[in-house]
Amino acid sequence: MLSHVDNEFLTQSGPATAMGALLRRFWMPALLSAELPERDGPPRKTKILGEDLLAFRDSNGRVGIVEPHCPHRGANLFYGRNEECGLRCAFHGWKFDVEGKCLDLPTSPPESGYKDTVRLLAYPVREWADIVWVYMGPREKMPELPQLELGLVPPAHRFVSKKWQDCNWVQSLEGAIDTAHFSFLHKIPSRDEGRKLEILRQTSAIGAGTELQDRARWLTDDPRPKFSIHGHETGLVIGAARKTDSTDLYWRIAQFLMPNHALVPVAFPGDVYHGQCWVPVDDVTCWIYTYSWVPDRPLTNTERERYAAGLSLHAAVDADYLPIRNIRNDYMLDRTLQKNESFTGITGVSEQDAAIQDSQGPIQDRTKEHLGPTDLGIVEFRKLVMGAARTLQSGGEPKAAQSAEQYAVRAGGWIAGPDKDLAAVMNERFGDRHGYVGHEHGLARR
Amino acid sequence: MLSREDNELLTHSGTGTPMGELLRRFWMPALLSAELPERDGPPKKIKILGEDLLAFRDTNGRIGVVEPHCPHRGANLYYGRNEECGIRCAFHGWKFDVEGKCLDLPTSPPESNYKDTIRLLAYPVREWADIVWVYMGPREKVPELPQLEIGLVPASSRYVTKKWQDCNWVQSVEGALDTSHFTFLHAVLAKDDAAARAAMAKAAIADQAQPDDRIRWIHNDPRPKFTVLGHDAGLLVGAARKTDGPELYWRISQFLMPNHAYTPTAFPGEIYYGQCWVPVDDRSCWIYTYCWQPDRPFSNAERAKFDGGFNVHAEVDADYVPLRTKKNDYLLDRAMQKTTNFTGIVGVSEQDAAIQDSQGPIQDRTREHLGPTDVAVVEFRKLLMSGARGLQGGHEPKAAASGKGYAVRAGGAVAAPAKDLEAVMVERFGHARGWVGGQYGLTR
Repeated sequence: MLSHVDNEFLTQSGPATAMGALLRRFWMPALLSAELPERDGPPRKTKILGEDLLAFRDSNGRVGIVEPHCPHRGANLFYGRNEECGLRCAFHGWKFDVEGKCLDLPTSPPESGYKDTVRLLAYPVREWADIVWVYMGPREKMPELPQLELGLVPPAHRFVSKKWQDCNWVQSLEGAIDTAHFSFLHKIPSRDEGRKLEILRQTSAIGAGTELQDRARWLTDDPRPKFSIHGHETGLVIGAARKTDSTDLYWRIAQFLMPNHALVPVAFPGDVYHGQCWVPVDDVTCWIYTYSWVPDRPLTNTERERYAAGLSLHAAVDADYLPIRNIRNDYMLDRTLQKNESFTGITGVSEQDAAIQDSQGPIQDRTKEHLGPTDLGIVEFRKLVMGAARTLQSGGEPKAAQSAEQYAVRAGGWIAGPDKDLAAVMNERFGDRHGYVGHEHGLARR
Repeated sequence: MLSREDNELLTHSGTGTPMGELLRRFWMPALLSAELPERDGPPKKIKILGEDLLAFRDTNGRIGVVEPHCPHRGANLYYGRNEECGIRCAFHGWKFDVEGKCLDLPTSPPESNYKDTIRLLAYPVREWADIVWVYMGPREKVPELPQLEIGLVPASSRYVTKKWQDCNWVQSVEGALDTSHFTFLHAVLAKDDAAARAAMAKAAIADQAQPDDRIRWIHNDPRPKFTVLGHDAGLLVGAARKTDGPELYWRISQFLMPNHAYTPTAFPGEIYYGQCWVPVDDRSCWIYTYCWQPDRPFSNAERAKFDGGFNVHAEVDADYVPLRTKKNDYLLDRAMQKTTNFTGIVGVSEQDAAIQDSQGPIQDRTREHLGPTDVAVVEFRKLLMSGARGLQGGHEPKAAASGKGYAVRAGGAVAAPAKDLEAVMVERFGHARGWVGGQYGLTR
């Protein structure tokens, strides 16, 4: 439970807020590279952390992310012309490059120096891992890009998508690191074992291994996993151990990476790894970037088709990345399906998550919640981000922003002896207690 | 005319407002029984007095009206599973019964008593007269259900439905109590008798034995004389018009605290109609429209007629939203307005809705100009506002403790000019305030 004041502190990310300042110390996904497919193509409106912005790809392929209003009389450059290495306003022809420099100011005499005094706000941009990243913080604090394994593997090994969500980003992220909800929200009550296995395979909800049914049963049978949480330079390792048929424990281990990534706890060795990144549009909506990768082989066409169709964490979306099953159509909830085959009656793991997270309200009122032992990951996450935001308010920079290489970590599942603690399980599963794999991609050993 | 402050006092009914507190001392229709047709069926989202709520019918047929957000992490229980005598959250399986008791809390160890410390807000519910009623006030003040005649007659003798309306509830009640508007809003222009009857097809008065006379009297006397008398449960509102002879044509309605009104049309043997306004928020409301026959069942033909929109009943879609609404300008037909009826809108209910919505989401009563035919509106406001102020000063509303006083009727009568409203009521209903509870074994 949070006080009203703390809930606002945690969830508000507009320009003058403490959490907004923290988020602005990190690179944010602004859009998919695929959203700006061609040079001199149409600019694209985007909104991040409550700021309306405009993205465009210039004649040289460089991407600019700029304030959308022309400094002249405020016309929106979205209606302008993207041509010859700059965006030209449709109102009076003022023209700016991807760095906001004014290239042409035809309403002033050519000999006037007025052009050199005019600038358009432009944020630093990087294109990496099929994502266009933007940095919206103070220029002198700009960090390196977070070295997520997604961007370290060849493009053929990864798949990136995004989806719109109708709630504050924080509660959605909390849903991802609260891995206890798998015993309920994604449960398949169907009594037909064959049908159950088919649904599991379809959704890839608990991995693609051969022990699917065992894991599904363990999930269902133990709704009270024991949580252990370890902090590291860039975030939190969140382990949850469930009982199995023997004395071993079934560990599902997620990662939270500052300030807005989470890696899912499903993959066994050889499986596909998945992660998500939440980018606030404003305080009541967000984009969720969903990404999947395999370290040691390309993804197959079948896998890509399945992800594009909305399986595993990826949602089925339309051309604007809006989920087909969303709050406006009640996620196409089917009460008959809910009685017989699925706990929610909603099709898709991503859609089940979205439905329940949206349903917490546009911004969850945390003054009314009742947390318990399975919400430990959430509590630690809140402590970490709120602590960092408070530290930044008093002048302390976030350590994670300066630890870009330490984002090269994995999360996943494992079965381990009952005497092993989380650090031992991580060592056994990943060869590092924090799941660091950067050295496999040429980064330094820890 | 009201001051801005008084207009807000009258029209705002959210949590903590004086009018909201007054309304919360009474049972409110929350939904139709038919909206929860099956046990363990889908829960239904509702909103009453600005509060988002969830209604569900459990395995035993009992209905819960509860806070929609799970106390754990606030997920909406709407997405939950209605099974085995409770609603179970889809997020982590916490489960609550119709009274808000936590039945299962699977994320805590079975030996933990955390479950017993958790409660979901649940309001008292009654199912009566085909309506699910909810009481949202202080638990120690729960009154008995208002003994409306609709709930005293057999189920076969009543018809209940509802309709959505896009304005504050108060101006809509005021439209019902201002019976002088019949001369205009519901007027028929067609000269040809058959065309006039066709234009009146959705009005109750068209069914009456001497409809032409009454329609003519209503048409010819736009200034009925109002008499308003109070009683335990509300106000009796009489309006007398001239007839062809010395007699007066009385149309007498009832206002019943805090949000019911009966129409003034029925002669003996005819169908009685009433409405109840339930604020969704301050700018929209549900209107429960009901009718009944004290001494016979409705025929299937009558029910079909009501289904199609008749008198106070609107023609609605599966979600009870009128087919002719603000969003489509009530399908106003300007040619029809030139030649056939006063508004160009089809349906008495739809004509009322159009004009009431048109007063604004909340009518700005600082700019109105009332006259003698608005006296019932004035008395209604006085009663409601003094009730709200009285409650602020610690005085409980008398009507809430007078459940049996709601067994009254309203209707029409033709009476000698010397008779005052009380005498007309005794002649028409056998009681000066129209009370008929005695016929159902009620005593006062």
